[in-house]
Amino acid sequence: MKMEELSVSSLDNSKLEALAQDILSDLVEDACLGLCFEVHRAVKQGYFFLDDTDQESMRDFEIVDQPGLDVFGQVYNQWKNKECVCPNCSRSIAASRFAPHLEKCLGMGRNSSRIANRRIVTGNNTNNKSESDQEDNDDVNDNDWSYGAEKKAKKRKSDKNPNSPRRSKSFKHKSSTSSKTNQDNEAHAPPKDSYIASSRPVGMMGPRRRVENQESPRMLMKDDAFSQ
Amino acid sequence: MSPLVDRKVLYCESAPSGTIKLQIVPEIMSKEYQMRAAINQKLIEMGERERLKELLRAKLVECGWKDQLKAHCKDVIREKGLEHVTVEDLVTEVTPKGRALVPDSVKKELLQRIRAFLVQHAAL
Repeated sequence: MKMEELSVSSLDNSKLEALAQDILSDLVEDACLGLCFEVHRAVKQGYFFLDDTDQESMRDFEIVDQPGLDVFGQVYNQWKNKECVCPNCSRSIAASRFAPHLEKCLGMGRNSSRIANRRIVTGNNTNNKSESDQEDNDDVNDNDWSYGAEKKAKKRKSDKNPNSPRRSKSFKHKSSTSSKTNQDNEAHAPPKDSYIASSRPVGMMGPRRRVENQESPRMLMKDDAFSQ
Repeated sequence: MSPLVDRKVLYCESAPSGTIKLQIVPEIMSKEYQMRAAINQKLIEMGERERLKELLRAKLVECGWKDQLKAHCKDVIREKGLEHVTVEDLVTEVTPKGRALVPDSVKKELLQRIRAFLVQHAAL
């Protein structure tokens, strides 16, 4: 296309500006037209007024903008300071600690069996334990794989069952070579290792068994690593 | 561009009464017009016009222009009646208001981009 000698650079600024303005107004008009077509189609297809409801419901569900309330108008930290009474031990527990307490109290949940066991074995004043102590126990009991926890467990086990065939469990950590009997014992022993299962309170058989099954495959795998 | 050149020939300055005086607006012949047309063509060919259009649309939605104008459309429709609204009605009602409602910041930004394009692609 022949432009001859005229080019944009030879235009003065005002003409450049005018040109830019014209292009802009073309674009704005395109946008307006686009909107008109969209609206017209919505009207003819019948979905233009769909988001309008009657005035009353719109007022009912309006967004709440007051301090201390959320957008639905509810007080958001209402349950922080409430206390609940535990149906099991009839103690008054803070709401945020209620669920974990119930877990321990009823003997369900992952760690409840361990704590109960430990309490029974050490035979101390469990009723005077505060909730924070219970939480600490959880952390310690979570160390399934730590040597220290197992050592503690083993020590207590040896105290409890002097006549049990599992005496040779102490070989577990010493060397990888072991006799067949030891291997058998090790195969059986690990499930009991990580937590004290020596004496089981009669009333708590079910949940504990469940927990045991969950853990035994893990322990067996660890054992394989050691015993070769 | 050839039709424009042809029309130039048809331009007659003076004519006796009783005959039709053909007057073609000289602006169409001007080189400026040709240059503008060339620029517009370049804008389209390079895809810049599409990009500018999308940019403008996005900005207008962001700043609430679209919602404002839609509310205005609702009024127009309620006025004219839902069944009888035509595209022309909407266009005549909406376009002048739409032009006026575009915020200055959006205008500024787009003008900047257009100017940059013009300066960059001067005369080729």
